[in-house]
Amino acid sequence: MSNITFKLNHEEVSVELNPSMRLLDALRDHFHLTGPKEGCGEGECGACSVLVNGKLVNSCCFPLANVQGKEVLTIEGYSKTERYHVLVEAFAHEGGSQCGICTPGMLIAAESLLTKNNHPTDEEIRIGISGNLCRCTGYNAIIKAIQRAIKQGAGLW
Amino acid sequence: MVKHIIPANLKSALAYLSEGTFQIMAGGTDLMIQKRSTAGTLPHFERDILYLANLEELRYIQRKDGSVHIGSMTTLEEIIDHPDAPELLKEVIREMGSPAIRHAGTLGGNIGNASPAGDSLVALYLLDAQVLLSSAEGDRLLPIENVILGVRKTAMKPNELIHEIIISEAKFDQVKWVKVGGRQADAISKVSFAGAYRVSNHQVVDFRLAFGAISITVLRNRAIEKKYENHSVAEINEDLPEILKAYNALISPIDDQRSNKIYRREVALNIAKDFIEKMKE
Amino acid sequence: MKDLTRSTPKVDHEEKCSGKSVFVSDIHLEGMLFAKTVRSTVAKAKITGISLPVLPKGYTIVDHKDVIKENVVNMIFSDWPVFATDHVNYIGEPIMLIVGPDKKVLDDLVPQIKIDYELEKPEFGYFHSSIHKEYTKGDTKLAFFNSDRIIEETFETGYQEQAYIEPQGMIAYPEGPKKVTLIGSMQCPYYIKNAVMRTLGYSEDQVRVIQPSVGGAFGGKEEFPSTTACQLATAVVKIGRPIKMIFEREEDMLVTTKRHPSKITLRAAIDENHKIQAIKAHVSMDGGAYLGLSGVVLARAMIAVSASYTIPHLDVSGDVYTTNTVPTGAFRGFGAPQMIFAIEMFMHHIAKELHADPFTFRLAHLAKQGDLTSTGGVFRDPIIMKELIQKAAEISDYHKKVVAYRKPGSFKGVGMSWFFHGCGFTGDGESSHIKARVKLVKDEQDHVFVLIAAVDMGQGAKTSLKRIVAQTLDLPNEQVTFNNPDTDQILDSGPTVASRTTMIVGGLLQRAAESLKKAWIPGKKIEIIEKYQQPDYIRWNEATMKGDAYPAYSWGVNVVEVEVSPITYQVKVKGVWSVYDVGKAIDERMVLGQADGGITQGIAYGYLEVMRHEEGKIKQKNFTDYIIPTSVDVPVYQTVLYENPFPFGPNGAKGVGELTLVGGAPAVALAIEQAIGKKINKIPATPEFIMGLLKHE
Repeated sequence: MSNITFKLNHEEVSVELNPSMRLLDALRDHFHLTGPKEGCGEGECGACSVLVNGKLVNSCCFPLANVQGKEVLTIEGYSKTERYHVLVEAFAHEGGSQCGICTPGMLIAAESLLTKNNHPTDEEIRIGISGNLCRCTGYNAIIKAIQRAIKQGAGLW
Repeated sequence: MVKHIIPANLKSALAYLSEGTFQIMAGGTDLMIQKRSTAGTLPHFERDILYLANLEELRYIQRKDGSVHIGSMTTLEEIIDHPDAPELLKEVIREMGSPAIRHAGTLGGNIGNASPAGDSLVALYLLDAQVLLSSAEGDRLLPIENVILGVRKTAMKPNELIHEIIISEAKFDQVKWVKVGGRQADAISKVSFAGAYRVSNHQVVDFRLAFGAISITVLRNRAIEKKYENHSVAEINEDLPEILKAYNALISPIDDQRSNKIYRREVALNIAKDFIEKMKE
Repeated sequence: MKDLTRSTPKVDHEEKCSGKSVFVSDIHLEGMLFAKTVRSTVAKAKITGISLPVLPKGYTIVDHKDVIKENVVNMIFSDWPVFATDHVNYIGEPIMLIVGPDKKVLDDLVPQIKIDYELEKPEFGYFHSSIHKEYTKGDTKLAFFNSDRIIEETFETGYQEQAYIEPQGMIAYPEGPKKVTLIGSMQCPYYIKNAVMRTLGYSEDQVRVIQPSVGGAFGGKEEFPSTTACQLATAVVKIGRPIKMIFEREEDMLVTTKRHPSKITLRAAIDENHKIQAIKAHVSMDGGAYLGLSGVVLARAMIAVSASYTIPHLDVSGDVYTTNTVPTGAFRGFGAPQMIFAIEMFMHHIAKELHADPFTFRLAHLAKQGDLTSTGGVFRDPIIMKELIQKAAEISDYHKKVVAYRKPGSFKGVGMSWFFHGCGFTGDGESSHIKARVKLVKDEQDHVFVLIAAVDMGQGAKTSLKRIVAQTLDLPNEQVTFNNPDTDQILDSGPTVASRTTMIVGGLLQRAAESLKKAWIPGKKIEIIEKYQQPDYIRWNEATMKGDAYPAYSWGVNVVEVEVSPITYQVKVKGVWSVYDVGKAIDERMVLGQADGGITQGIAYGYLEVMRHEEGKIKQKNFTDYIIPTSVDVPVYQTVLYENPFPFGPNGAKGVGELTLVGGAPAVALAIEQAIGKKINKIPATPEFIMGLLKHE
């Protein structure tokens, strides 16, 4: 057990947990968040996506030790932003969410991409979400949604 | 009980390493998966763990004396973004894993993991990278091929950590990277290939080929390369069948759940052939 | 009257985006325990002994001895045991559960449980037939006798894993002294309820099933969750505490049901006018260790033999083979993808052998309204395939590309598949097996509740079905509520399978809403129940497989363009164009979503997704090794929907869910064939396979 101190969804938190714990387990079992999900446990599907210092990571293979002093944002924190709402509207408009299990991860991945590059090409969007698997949509509706969000949310990213 | 140490700085990390035996954890993208257990339970670590990912002292890319020095904890994404990182390395990393993996994975972690399918290792072999291993007792500088000994086996001593990777800035006329994965993104290599050359006065003065995922370590054979130094592109192409035969004798691909040895062998040689055929005078 | 084709926002969109949507793994109950399954590590053996470690306090073993009524999981064919007794028949077969409060302790205990096996010789391949079916149409003997040419080919297809992103999982808990409630990732609440009732010997009011949000299913959660439910229900009866079991991804990939691998032999009798007069077909399917619903998968595959063509004489037989491998089961398409691959490739190959243009050759065989179906039923409704084909050719530039790419060494190809899908349960399933009922309840506040068993697993049923009711009643959408099914509140409208939800359940809801409209009295509570009535004109003989196998058919055309690397033999999908007739879309955006998702799975089935077993051990058990497409693997898609309203479907709708998958594999396989100039008879057409074809001179 060690003390790990970090910011979670803009709040400073300090926990006495095993530092080798998967960040995903800390978020779901200790903080009772449901946004990040277990889809594969091996960093392939992206359902566990969160942002660490604004960057997309797979929380299922991220040790808690590595968030020491960092800022972690899950969909719960992200959903309070205007950018989130623009993305949600865009996803609704294009049909970017069907069963919804990959959706929080896709939104987090979109945020990570657009923060770094606010005018990505079609190819760059595809690469930006290439680590988030979706079995329902075939991806094109998600790409269109992100493209729409960029247009509708001009100036936000 | 497993101890967990998040050292405050490099000196402290080296001190811990000289006192005990540790599993070094970098970004976690390989180790956390290898050691994972049922969801909601802790991963199976037997040794004490030393977490290095947050050491800012090991995150840098600097040009010094004709070489690029990359700190071992520099993330893969940071390498892509840095203007001084070698172009080949960037090209390789762009096709590795996914954005999430690249944001957490490190070059030091890739070396420590010593996977036969490790893409970044192929680039490091081709670029004659050297690895600085540091301990409380001092430093050792080893060429990459002397650091990676086999599958998940390195030459690191228990009290050492990977400090930085040094790549001398070589000029090439052409550099080629081919990754053959199961799909277009987020794939483990079935076969990979890096090739580079430089022509001067119609002679090929630098000729390098490296193959990944077709042996237990990256395959690079300097004897074959040296044989064709100071030959023209046309001469090298005349000898193409011999060159391919020579590499064919060296590669030892396997059958596994991703592919088979016939495919890996054929494709590795196809790629090498294509590279050599497309060399320009 | 507002147009149902127009798209409206999905009622669950916000909760799905925010992460607040409750999936089974998000649920925690007071005093909840966890369960882990102890599974067979061998493909076939007699269990001669089991030695258990000393269990810490609070940890319990649950096995076949704890099953209180019947150690069988109720299914279409009930041969799956809840727990193995003295024999195991596949690697991964559940032998017992170990239940307790700490998952780590469970992980430590499992390897301490020693099972003694007396190994027996496992069977693999197409040898031991457990189900045999056959049917005929016309007189094939005469047709073959009079034929000008006879061509025969064999086709093979592999496993396909549903790969839903939410792994399987279930919670069971005691609700009162003799009632068990189950919450889990599922498609069919009543399949689960009926299975648990049978295993426990409980009555209707003693078993309750609640559906949480479901993260994808595609058939993989049709019958399999019943096995988990029966195991957990048995454990709850023994222990009396809530128990949760969520599958790890590797476990899920190794032991849950998958698409049946198949081997299909087609033999065609061709007359001197290049018309196929007869086809003799045999379908072999690998059913794995237990049959479950394999008989229905076989039937659908057999019935699809002539696909979108009319062949006057047919002689079709099929077998499901039992092997010591993981039992295969439902997956979107349900036997059709295997057969559509075979027949589409066959038609092309025949044309090539006859030196005929494949497009014209196939066109000459295209089914027309009024033609007899494969089983001697009738295509009663208009067939607009010619228009679909023309449109698909136009938007993809198909004909020009065929000419351009057929030059040897182009390594580019374009493939066009034509296909159909029978909507609804095969044969008389709707009336003999499902007997669907829907219930609408209007309360005193004039709010209407839709009380049915349909599961929204991403296809949008939660939104579209309530719209049908709101529309018919002329109410705003907000005045109608369709909550996730809870069997204590609803009626059994049948399983969410077989592309029946919009057409059959939606149709029933429309009729119920019409009845409610007639009976409407403001401020009064009114309850309307509507029962499924098989239309009179549907005649089906299950034994002879003759008559109308389906009440309606949806039709489609897919065009796929590929580039194959002559160096690495990898396939790049460059373009995808689709045209569909699903009657009339209910919520066009949702239908286009099904189109996109379906074809992605169908194409990947044809060239990308590989799952094999070695002596009964599945080799690809995680997302690293079982490769499904990423966003980078798919090009932009173009999809066009044509209207051809079905008079008995709500808003004119026919089935959608599976149609959009069945044409993908032949389209990509035909494209690869053209690119490499070699015949493809087997999928997935991986780079390794393509290399083998090219090297085999």
